[in-house]
Amino acid sequence: MNERADLRVVVVGSGRLGLETARSLAERGHDVVIVERTPERVAAAADEYVAAVIEGDAARPSVLAQAAPERADVVAALTNTVGTNLAVCLAAKRLAPDVRTVLRTTDPDTAEFEPFVDHVVYPELAGARRTVNEIEGGGVVRTVEALAGELEVFEVTVADAAPVAGLSLREVSLPRGSLVISGAAGHGVAGADTELTAAETYLVAAEPDVIDEVRRLFRG
Amino acid sequence: MSETRGRRAPATNLGLLDATMIGIGAMIGAGIFVLTGLAAETAGAGAIVAFALNGGVTTFTALSYAELAAAIPKNGGGYAYVREAFSSPVAFVMGWTRWFTYMAAGALYALGFSSNFVELVHLYWPGLPDSEPWIVAYALFAVVSFVGLNALSTEASGGAETVVTAVKIVVLLIFVAFGVGAVQGANFVPLFPADGGALTVLPAMGLTFIAFQGYDLIATVTEEVENPTTNIPRAILASVAVTVVVYLLVVGVAIGTLGPELLAAAGETAVAEAAIGFMPDVGVFGAPLGGALIAFGAVFSTVSALNAVVIGSSRVAFAMGRERQLPAGLGRIHPRYGTPWLAIAASAVVMLVATVSAPIRVVGNLASLFSLLGFAVVNLALIRLRRRRPNLSRPFEVPAYPAVPLLGIGLNLLLGLFISWETWAIAIGWLGVGVVVYAVLHGPSLPFGRGEPSGDPGASAGGTAPAEGPVVVETPAADAADPWRERDGPSPDGEDAREVEVDPPASDTEEER
Repeated sequence: MNERADLRVVVVGSGRLGLETARSLAERGHDVVIVERTPERVAAAADEYVAAVIEGDAARPSVLAQAAPERADVVAALTNTVGTNLAVCLAAKRLAPDVRTVLRTTDPDTAEFEPFVDHVVYPELAGARRTVNEIEGGGVVRTVEALAGELEVFEVTVADAAPVAGLSLREVSLPRGSLVISGAAGHGVAGADTELTAAETYLVAAEPDVIDEVRRLFRG
Repeated sequence: MSETRGRRAPATNLGLLDATMIGIGAMIGAGIFVLTGLAAETAGAGAIVAFALNGGVTTFTALSYAELAAAIPKNGGGYAYVREAFSSPVAFVMGWTRWFTYMAAGALYALGFSSNFVELVHLYWPGLPDSEPWIVAYALFAVVSFVGLNALSTEASGGAETVVTAVKIVVLLIFVAFGVGAVQGANFVPLFPADGGALTVLPAMGLTFIAFQGYDLIATVTEEVENPTTNIPRAILASVAVTVVVYLLVVGVAIGTLGPELLAAAGETAVAEAAIGFMPDVGVFGAPLGGALIAFGAVFSTVSALNAVVIGSSRVAFAMGRERQLPAGLGRIHPRYGTPWLAIAASAVVMLVATVSAPIRVVGNLASLFSLLGFAVVNLALIRLRRRRPNLSRPFEVPAYPAVPLLGIGLNLLLGLFISWETWAIAIGWLGVGVVVYAVLHGPSLPFGRGEPSGDPGASAGGTAPAEGPVVVETPAADAADPWRERDGPSPDGEDAREVEVDPPASDTEEER
């Protein structure tokens, strides 16, 4: 388990997926380091100003080492080349046995990678589901992802030592632009008397610019 | 580390001017009002030389800050950059000294506020008690007010900052405009006091150095700056340049009108005293308007600077709490107020103790010493990152590397040597407290090792590995043993020999997180 309150994440590849991931992570108050090979993308990522950017091929250990995986909690290999992603994840594990690895695959068959990495992501699947929701249009209940524009709707589990643990919503002041939707474990709709209990999970909606504060209130 | 204050309104876009104003506002404040007289006491008319040279010394570190701020988007300021470059203990020392810099500066500004507040009120009502205990009481009141304000409110003063800074600059420019005609060249002869001569400029520089720190606040509002990679370095350098010019004008006028002896006698209210001497004698409510205006400027500046250091000190403590370098509670925000209230409270306690127990010259020296030490470490971090992470994208690069950061380190340490031994003793005492705190939190560990025993019993098998230095592998870029070269063709990272840091897998890196 990581000791720090915020994650340190190495994001490899700053294409569309990598950059969006880095942006979201930074928005939530995490520390991000990007590794990117293409000079134009390095410049674009630096201008985003969400992460330190290492320029080079992360599949080279000398480059990956500069991202300090031994200090990271997670290494996410998100380039569009599965071979590179696998090499990065394996090298990262060798440099830092405790680090969690996330591999992006471009193929729906994710099973073959599972013995080698901690998590496999196939972004096209999420994209396809979202597209189907739009195609079906009205009349069906949409998933949360489809409704959310700027607003993020997410589940969050109250940590033991979190500032809000053991308090009712009446006693807590959430930042403007955020809302607790459900009671514990999704039972009922939250009200002023809803108690935020440690280890229970709540459905929360928040605007991007207060999401890091919400996370800190719930997670410590 | 993102700051939790405010951020409740959508981020405003700060242009280059706004960002520059934040830096100027953090620097121009209490220092110039409070320390001009004390510097004249040390170096006579040479105080102006001390300010000029300090501007030069600061510029070296400002260049380093500019490179780091453009490359590493974190808003813990110097602490965050050092955290990036060094192992946990070194980063702890940096954070610990930065924290104390802000707190000592807070005590300095609080004491400066109370003296100038008495000066201002006395113009209208001579009956205000001004004995020593009262001065301290006013200072304590100021600290408590701003701590309370920052602990209970999350409304950031982002928009007000530019206005506040503009008021400060305007007051100083009025001072200069009216005073410049009254300057007498004779006041600059002799330039240095008879005893000590030109060497007195060095302790005067050490004393006043704190007036040149604060531009690092620009790096803490980074999320809102447009085109950050170009504008942040520019704003840092522009704010230093403007500040130095304003300082030289103000100090020049103060010395030229009042003369070094009287300035020295006036101590922390010297600038206001000088103004009372030459400002047009227009009576308003029974007091000279000019003097009142400058005294008001001094009160206003000390108060706004006090607010800035209360925020700054709590931010460092909060960042260290998030990183688990200080107790985790400091890195938590209050469920009702959304503020890092424990971090603020902890900072307040030290600030109050310093305000009560130390004379103004000592807190000034303390703040400057810690500022010098912190800046030296930031320059060191720049050099280390250049060596360890040659591939880090650096939108702004320090010119004349490595001369600039090396000069930054050398000059900062040189100035530190001219600060009194009593101050060093307090500084070493504070570091001693830090060592104890670190040991309690992390278990006993070698202070400068990289893999440290972890304080967490369930940690990985490496938890008891001896602390080892990193294995440094010299890898010339054309090393045939590099299996990735064949696939890659020419390597993108230039032809320089590189240090690659590979921790032995057995070394526990829990503390590095």
